[in-house]
Amino acid sequence: MPFETHMSSVIVCPACDLAHRRTAPPARGRTLCARCRAPLQRPQSAAIDTAIALAVCALVLLLLSNAYPLVAMHVNGSYRETTLLGAALGLYAQDFESLAALVFLTTVIAPLLQIVTLLYVLIPLWRGRRALGQNAALRILTQVRPWRFMEVFMLGALVALVRLSKFAHIVPGVALWSCALLMLCLSALTSITSPEQLWRWVEGARA
Amino acid sequence: MSGPATGRSLGLLLCLACRETVRDVKAPQLRCPRCHARLHARKPHSLVLTTLLVIGAAVLYVPANVLPVMDTRTFFDDENDTIMSGVLVLLHSGSWPIAVLVFIASIVVPLLKILALGVLLYSAWARSAHRPLQRSALFRMVEFIGRWSMLDIYAISLLATLVQVQSFASIIVGWGAWAFGAVVVLTLLAARTFDERLLWDTPRD
Repeated sequence: MPFETHMSSVIVCPACDLAHRRTAPPARGRTLCARCRAPLQRPQSAAIDTAIALAVCALVLLLLSNAYPLVAMHVNGSYRETTLLGAALGLYAQDFESLAALVFLTTVIAPLLQIVTLLYVLIPLWRGRRALGQNAALRILTQVRPWRFMEVFMLGALVALVRLSKFAHIVPGVALWSCALLMLCLSALTSITSPEQLWRWVEGARA
Repeated sequence: MSGPATGRSLGLLLCLACRETVRDVKAPQLRCPRCHARLHARKPHSLVLTTLLVIGAAVLYVPANVLPVMDTRTFFDDENDTIMSGVLVLLHSGSWPIAVLVFIASIVVPLLKILALGVLLYSAWARSAHRPLQRSALFRMVEFIGRWSMLDIYAISLLATLVQVQSFASIIVGWGAWAFGAVVVLTLLAARTFDERLLWDTPRD
């Protein structure tokens, strides 16, 4: 079998390639690479139940954020409002398809894909099974992880509101609050579901 | 004996997808036994790809700052805003903390990223062994601050969507915004194609 190549006694730093002897994952805090100070091992974090609960919570918040208006604007007797999706559609309507796609992908698709893929993998693991195409799903997750920009979006919305508040009456919508909660929920979820931790759960379910 | 034990000197590969350590059997198209992701000693074509992306970002940085990002049309006038004039509008309207935020996120961060990646690429091409710890820290800063430059894109998308009040005021997105978005995406991709380990590889390995 050519795959007798498992070298789990050694851990290699992803940032500088220095080899370290693998120790048990830290209970809290992260272990750092001795040479370049990059995080080497993340703590053995929350239980799989917590991750599932957070993911369900994030999914509900994401649905709310898309179902309700983000902000409404009253000016000169007329009224405009937009949703999260509406921001991308506004760019699309002005023929900036690529910018619209960028906004759509980073504010709607990336969080949705992250949450759905996580649930797809974690729910079977929690029941001691394996999702069909689990490895592919986990690879998608590694690709999606860096593309969530919820906190940046919130600040961008703040900037837009400050500029508008000079000449219009602005009413924050339900989705603005749910986006803020989604931002917190997603960062908690992302930090407890590092690829390293996901694979610990996979191997725990296999054992 | 030369230098510390590294994955390369021990013949070990790291799977970047699942962090598994795998013995390098020097086979072509090697895959991770655990997650089946492709394995490479270093990200393939890292320096060439990153250099092209950074050059693209540097070129587009000019139109991103010169061309208007939005055009505000009202009854009385027609005003073209570049990124910098947008910052000045915020400053004059008294919201200086927001002005500083936008200035940092939209002007300083992209420029800093392009310059920092340029320095890192030069040192990696030259196989410099000078201050790897500082260069590593510089790279991590680039990775960390990168996404914040998306801020203006989101602000513009909301403004252009909301301000479409028939015959009173409307905001039209400009090509500067397109160029700016491209700069942000190219620098984000450049930070992903760059292999940090190249900063530590010594010519001896």
